[in-house]
Amino acid sequence: MASVSASHLILFIASMVIAAGVAGTFTQGISRLSQGIDDQSLEVSEEVRTNIEVISDAGSPVYNNSTNTVSLLVKNTGTTDIPADSQFIEILIDGQYRTNITVTVVDGTEWRPNNVVRLDIGGADLSSGDHRAKIIVNGDEEVFAFRV
Amino acid sequence: MFRLGFSVSGSAAIVFVGIFLAFSTAYTASTNGFERVNDAQSAVDDEALERQNTALNITNATYDGGNGTLMIDVDNEGATELSVEAVDLLVDNTYRDNVTARRVDGDAATDLWLPGERLHIEVSLSDRPTRVKVVSGPGVADVEVL
Repeated sequence: MASVSASHLILFIASMVIAAGVAGTFTQGISRLSQGIDDQSLEVSEEVRTNIEVISDAGSPVYNNSTNTVSLLVKNTGTTDIPADSQFIEILIDGQYRTNITVTVVDGTEWRPNNVVRLDIGGADLSSGDHRAKIIVNGDEEVFAFRV
Repeated sequence: MFRLGFSVSGSAAIVFVGIFLAFSTAYTASTNGFERVNDAQSAVDDEALERQNTALNITNATYDGGNGTLMIDVDNEGATELSVEAVDLLVDNTYRDNVTARRVDGDAATDLWLPGERLHIEVSLSDRPTRVKVVSGPGVADVEVL
């Protein structure tokens, strides 16, 4: 009898350990998934809230021939702050990715909703004719066509 | 002393508790996530509606060479109230924030620019400009060539 009881006890402990392991793994997996959903929703909501508008006057020159710089004024028309840093702003001029960008907030210190930044894109070296600049911020894309 | 039935029911209880805890975490996370995205979506919808209801028109832009002042009158011809603080002025593509006077229907203290009201802006300039652009908060703009 004692041997049966002992073997039952061993089986009981083993089943508890396995059940705890299964439950632990499952909980951990779901918890990781929940964290992922949380992070993703934050990112998606930021993307949805981001909206920018190029307010530069296309009728006036935006390209400076002497410094080879394109200057664009971009307004934050969304409902979230955007970091005024060139690493968060992607710019393509005529399909070419540009890295020489200086970002200056012209009416404040941060790029909050309604604030305007000036993007100075250096080393553009554009010939006369029609050109287009594409600005991508947080998934929001804006195209600005201009003539040099 | 120990029956095998205990093992089965005990382990089943542990697994069920684990599943319950896991799903409660997942439910909270997904509800919060959906709520966050829905809030963002409705804020964007509101903005889009505001933009659709916004219209402005530069009725007058005059440069007074005598005292070097550019005077601009802009009418809110839309159906939405705008913020005076959010209005941007571009003169010959240069952002101007050195505004010397800014009033709505004669009131310099208000920040509200309501439908039908006229915003008067004065800015000091040394040279006569050729193009003036006024941009409202939602991004709707008007250009005037002097």
